[in-house]
Amino acid sequence: MEERPQHCLSRLLDNSALKQQELPIHRLYFTARRVLFVFFATGIFCLCMGIILILSARSTQEIEINYTRICANCAKLQENASNFDKECTCSIPFYLSGKMMGNVYMYYKLYGFYQNLYLYIRSRSNRQLVGKDVKAVEDCAPFKMSDNKTPIVPCGAIANSMFNDTIILSHNINSSVQIKVPMLKSRLTWWTDKYVKFQNLSSKNLADEFRGKIHTVPPNWPKPIYDLDKKDPRNNGFLNDDFIVWMRAAAFPTFKKLYGRLNRTHHFIEGLPAGNYSFNITYNFPVTRFHGEKSVVLSTLTWCGGNSLFLGLAYTVTGAMTWLASFAMMAIHIMLKNKKMSFFHQ
Amino acid sequence: MSTERDSETTFDEDSQPNDEVVPYSDDETEDELDDQGSAVEPEQNRVNREAEENREPFRKECTWQVKANDRKYHEQPHFMNTKFLCIKESKYANNAIKTYKYNAFTFIPMNLFEQFKRAANLYFLALLILQAVPQISTLAWYTTLVPLLVVLGVTAIKDLVDDVARHKMDKEINNRTCEVIKDGRFKVAKWKEIQVGDVIRLKKNDFVPADILLLSSSEPNSLCYVETAELDGETNLKFKMSLEITDQYLQREDTLATFDGFIECEEPNNRLDKFTGTLFWRNTSFPLDADKILLRGCVIRNTDFCHGLVIFAGADTKIMKNSGKTRFKRTKIDYLMNYMVYTIFVVLILLSAGLAIGHAYWEAQVGNSSWYLYDGEDDTPSYRGFLIFWGYIIVLNTMVPISLYVSVEVIRLGQSHFINWDLQMYYAEKDTPAKARTTTLNEQLGQIHYIFSDKTGTLTQNIMTFKKCCINGQIYGDHRDASQHNHNKIEQVDFSWNTYADGKLAFYDHYLIEQIQSGKEPEVRQFFFLLAVCHTVMVDRTDGQLNYQAASPDEGALVNAARNFGFAFLARTQNTITISELGTERTYNVLAILDFNSDRKRMSIIVRTPEGNIKLYCKGADTVIYERLHRMNPTKQETQDALDIFANETLRTLCLCYKEIEEKEFTEWNKKFMAASVASTNRDEALDKVYEEIEKDLILLGATAIEDKLQDGVPETISKLAKADIKIWVLTGDKKETAENIGFACELLTEDTTICYGEDINSLLHARMENQRNRGGVYAKFAPPVQESFFPPGGNRALIITGSWLNEILLEKKTKRNKILKLKFPRTEEERRMRTQSKRRLEAKKEQRQKNFVDLACECSAVICCRVTPKQKAMVVDLVKRYKKAITLAIGDGANDVNMIKTAHIGVGISGQEGMQAVMSSDYSFAQFRYLQRLLLVHGRWSYIRMCKFLRYFFYKNFAFTLVHFWYSFFNGYSAQDVSDKLSLRFPGLYIVGQRDLLFNYKRFFVSLLHGVLTSMILFFIPLGAYLQTVGQDGEAPSDYQSFAVTIASALVITVNFQIGLDTSYWTFVNAFSIFGSIALYFGIMFDFHSAGIHVLFPSAFQFTGTASNALRQPYIWLTIILTVAVGLLPVVAIRFLSMTIWPSESDKIQKHRKRLKAEEQWQRRQQVFRRGVSTRRSAYAFSHQRGYADLISSGRSIRKKRSPLDAIVADGTAEYRRTGDS
Repeated sequence: MEERPQHCLSRLLDNSALKQQELPIHRLYFTARRVLFVFFATGIFCLCMGIILILSARSTQEIEINYTRICANCAKLQENASNFDKECTCSIPFYLSGKMMGNVYMYYKLYGFYQNLYLYIRSRSNRQLVGKDVKAVEDCAPFKMSDNKTPIVPCGAIANSMFNDTIILSHNINSSVQIKVPMLKSRLTWWTDKYVKFQNLSSKNLADEFRGKIHTVPPNWPKPIYDLDKKDPRNNGFLNDDFIVWMRAAAFPTFKKLYGRLNRTHHFIEGLPAGNYSFNITYNFPVTRFHGEKSVVLSTLTWCGGNSLFLGLAYTVTGAMTWLASFAMMAIHIMLKNKKMSFFHQ
Repeated sequence: MSTERDSETTFDEDSQPNDEVVPYSDDETEDELDDQGSAVEPEQNRVNREAEENREPFRKECTWQVKANDRKYHEQPHFMNTKFLCIKESKYANNAIKTYKYNAFTFIPMNLFEQFKRAANLYFLALLILQAVPQISTLAWYTTLVPLLVVLGVTAIKDLVDDVARHKMDKEINNRTCEVIKDGRFKVAKWKEIQVGDVIRLKKNDFVPADILLLSSSEPNSLCYVETAELDGETNLKFKMSLEITDQYLQREDTLATFDGFIECEEPNNRLDKFTGTLFWRNTSFPLDADKILLRGCVIRNTDFCHGLVIFAGADTKIMKNSGKTRFKRTKIDYLMNYMVYTIFVVLILLSAGLAIGHAYWEAQVGNSSWYLYDGEDDTPSYRGFLIFWGYIIVLNTMVPISLYVSVEVIRLGQSHFINWDLQMYYAEKDTPAKARTTTLNEQLGQIHYIFSDKTGTLTQNIMTFKKCCINGQIYGDHRDASQHNHNKIEQVDFSWNTYADGKLAFYDHYLIEQIQSGKEPEVRQFFFLLAVCHTVMVDRTDGQLNYQAASPDEGALVNAARNFGFAFLARTQNTITISELGTERTYNVLAILDFNSDRKRMSIIVRTPEGNIKLYCKGADTVIYERLHRMNPTKQETQDALDIFANETLRTLCLCYKEIEEKEFTEWNKKFMAASVASTNRDEALDKVYEEIEKDLILLGATAIEDKLQDGVPETISKLAKADIKIWVLTGDKKETAENIGFACELLTEDTTICYGEDINSLLHARMENQRNRGGVYAKFAPPVQESFFPPGGNRALIITGSWLNEILLEKKTKRNKILKLKFPRTEEERRMRTQSKRRLEAKKEQRQKNFVDLACECSAVICCRVTPKQKAMVVDLVKRYKKAITLAIGDGANDVNMIKTAHIGVGISGQEGMQAVMSSDYSFAQFRYLQRLLLVHGRWSYIRMCKFLRYFFYKNFAFTLVHFWYSFFNGYSAQDVSDKLSLRFPGLYIVGQRDLLFNYKRFFVSLLHGVLTSMILFFIPLGAYLQTVGQDGEAPSDYQSFAVTIASALVITVNFQIGLDTSYWTFVNAFSIFGSIALYFGIMFDFHSAGIHVLFPSAFQFTGTASNALRQPYIWLTIILTVAVGLLPVVAIRFLSMTIWPSESDKIQKHRKRLKAEEQWQRRQQVFRRGVSTRRSAYAFSHQRGYADLISSGRSIRKKRSPLDAIVADGTAEYRRTGDS
């Protein structure tokens, strides 16, 4: 190769490292030292992480009250179709033994509700929800139009099945004095949902806006979309926080969704004090028909979310296993090293 | 068809196979015979039979009719064959060759059709149709269409590029020009315009464009010399001679233009050396044979011009008929991959069915009673289950990997480029880089078991050089300066003192020159004089330059050597020969030429010196010469020793001797000679006998040693490949001795190799067959086939077998026509039954025999097949392919290798030489044999390992990815969901990640599946656990399915990319870049797709707005991802470490000890063992041709007389042109 005739080497090849496959290489050696180091380090990290997670999860407080059975009479009343417009309320007293410090969040939780079913999850119209075109209902089968061919607003199966119980938490200071615990219905959603994905038609009077367009209320809804929150006119239409929260479909048939945040004023400035409380629930959402259950949850949070122990435990277990594995590997390595020196003298 | 031969004795009724001739019967396949005559009705046949049997067997085949200068004749209706419906086509092919597959119109439909023949493509088409059904459409239509279009597009573009290259090549060949008679004049025409019946003119060094009948040429007697290297690999010149009548009357343009001969001959076939036909002209018929036919692919040499009549054109030519079918080659891995895909497909169906049943059950239990899931249709749960089955088939389609095929193609394309770019396979001398002509076979290069190599032009350079000689017992040729001392400084001998030297001979022994010049030893001069005088070489003097045309390259080399050493052969006439002896020209009378033939293995010439002495000069194989030496030969022993040394160096040797003949003795002998040469019967035998009488009591002069120059690095390559357990078979059309010699030269054969020849093999096989039959009987079917070896274990064995023996052994003998005819139409039912039965028995026997032969051959370390036809070469390859189930590679350079190149799994062509046929049909081409080791051991291995690694990884990744859906099904009521299209959209990284340098072992497909399944479980269940209870930091909307999808997807991307990182043995910046790049790309694309802006633009297409930013803000999601990745990867690291510690693999060990091994890996050339006198092989004599030109010379036919140059003839058509000397 060194002595090339100079006549016509028109097809002489490019002598670049890439083309000649001679790029500088670094070989990944699984040497004992490196592997064991990685394992021990990972083990320590996982153990520490696990302990921290468990500790912080235990520092939270959570109260869950399943009211499916407590409010069974309401459910029964509802199952009779003739009583669909009768309001049924149900009060659930409970005792808070210790005070819940800091931010307290209220959730409703559904069991056996398949919000992740494929056809269900697809039955929504993002174009409608973004406030551009009320008539964009193509994706909403089977809740696209009413019988007289007017578009349903909001259309689709998700919207139609929106959770519509009202839950009011009150603090019973004594047998006669009941204070309603102030709950905030704002900032329950992601910013992007509230400000990007969901938009009302325009900022003018909502009711007029919707009334101006011919539309139909979803079959399961007792009231129109512009009338969801009677107290706060801005919390209405597609921008209603409860609506947005519901529209973000859950991944599993058991899920909880944020219902309200404690407004830390006056009496509740430090959180919920210990004492007697009660939930006053207006029972609208039927779950017994599909053998589902619903409950209400009060919880405080830490940096890593709620009081789930899973991650902490998983980290701890992983850490422990990694340590075990590294000890085993070290043992094997030392055994074989003495036997076959040749493998490891680099 | 060849029935009746099951009574084995019939095989032996013929004499022993002839080792010298190339068999020709191999092409007459049964099908061909079946085709012919089947149209004849039985009654007619029976009537004709007797008559036919008495006639010459070939006569009746002559149905091919050619009329000179009459194109219309060949367009008559009865020559038309219906080709397609009503489109008729002449049975005479035109001369355009067509290797391309598509044209502009057929490309799209034909290519699509080809592509949809692939199961995977068809599957995705079906999937696409399924997706069009709204009830079951679970993914957006474009998720399948886009990949499918990409796949089809990429493949189509590749096919298009390939086909354009073929178009170009065809065009290049079809547009070559030659002269054709049109309207009474010779006009330049393109090859593709030539048609059967045209009269054409070819000039010196032209390729012959079609199979033509030689009509006349510029040479006396219309001789025409051709080189047939393209056809049979032999480079010596062959001469063809036209009929006397055409030679006489068809020299001028006007006579050629009015030539109206009519030829009847055999139909086109692939017999290169056979031709039968008759020329009818001027009311006389003239028989035609192969000696008058110039075949397409030959090159005209040493003949100024010649005229011919086209008989077969284009696809009908013998070379084309010989080239075999172009096979669509696929690799082992392709088959394996298909098999895996089918497996996966079955798994997919099972999974979908399981999930569908689950869904139906769930519907019945839960779904039906869930008011919120009301979809307006009253379908029963089982119907819903049925629909969801198809839905799952669509959602899980990623399990059957469409991208697999594309990725594999892309990888192979890349590998092909690495081959094309490889500087170490670039041959600077010829400016030829290696080229991967097909891009689909690369990884097969790493699996080769057998290499079938051509000899001439592949192993050897096809250059013979005079290397050494032994004169009067003294060896010359090693490096020596004039004072007879070995010298370290290698300096070539300077031949400039000699005006006739061509300066191309490299010789290093200055002492020899000194000897010649000083004339101290008369034998030295006599030695070279002998070389200059005793031969049948033709000389051609153009511009003062001497050009020798020899019947064999060895002879040419000897005469050329003599010329360089000062004894230049200048000219010859019928009975004189003129030599320049160190500058003085002397003319000798040639009294007789005693020609070479394979029995005599020697040739002699008797000359009368100008002084009047009669001398006989003889050269030949040592075995025959030594028998005829005079008793008193002082240098006998020394020469013998020299011959041993030469043979050990694998030089081709010849002994030279002479004797003086008394005038009286000669006169007496001459009488006998004359009588013998006119003998009407057994002339050859009579002559041999006469020759024997005079060739005795010879005085030994010495011996020559010629090197059949191997290509550089051939022995090293062969030894390297042998170390890789690759067996090399040499298949050559050349002679047995030559082939054997080359076997030694390239160290396939060594001194301690036991060589088996055809006879030995035949008897071994007979014994084996006998054994098998005895063992057979009733229990034969139940007994397991016993595999005992043919040879005792140990020892080094080689097989040398000739084409005739091959035919004999494999029962491929020519079928006798009359037997066929008799059997063509069985008269009774009984006969028919007997026939089929015996046919079956024969088939079984043949198969058994072939299998035995292959088993036997594979036990030998080397196999050399010589005197084999192109078709036999292919047959041998096919046998090994069939019975050994091994991957084969064929390498060759000539048109005679085309068939075998096409047959083998991988065909390699030697490029950079004149003929392109082999290269055209090859899969890879490069300029030197030695590049084979790099191609196989480097590129092949890499390609293979990378491909396997890729496949394993791919299946792993695919399963990890797809099965996440499967697990999810258990939590969403077994309904399909749309995570996957989002995932797949976000997964370009998975398909572009570094596909290089991935060392892996492929056999563990199921291991990778299992790995994939486990990974998918980890990827799913850890996030699941984390999500079930948790809430976001801000308490808002936790555990929504979009965040869940993002979490899993991120964990998946990081895990699989890190997995690649772990699998990568050699990290280059490309790897690092692609791995971290694809992770970065993933996050980049994800954030982009989840941004607010894109949602505003396309609210319905991008629904994940804000998911990434919101989800990945949460520390617990990151913690989940980290945990998932760690749990997914740590076991892999542990297992890899443990397996390396406990069971280190070969390459692990090599890695550990790479420095030390580097030194050992150096190839060490075998020690040359000199064992004087014990050498058993010495007859590697240097004649590779059958017979010299002695006949031509002594008859004077070839001696050129003064004749007008070509221009004169062409220009002056009317000038009377008669040859003056026609003896």
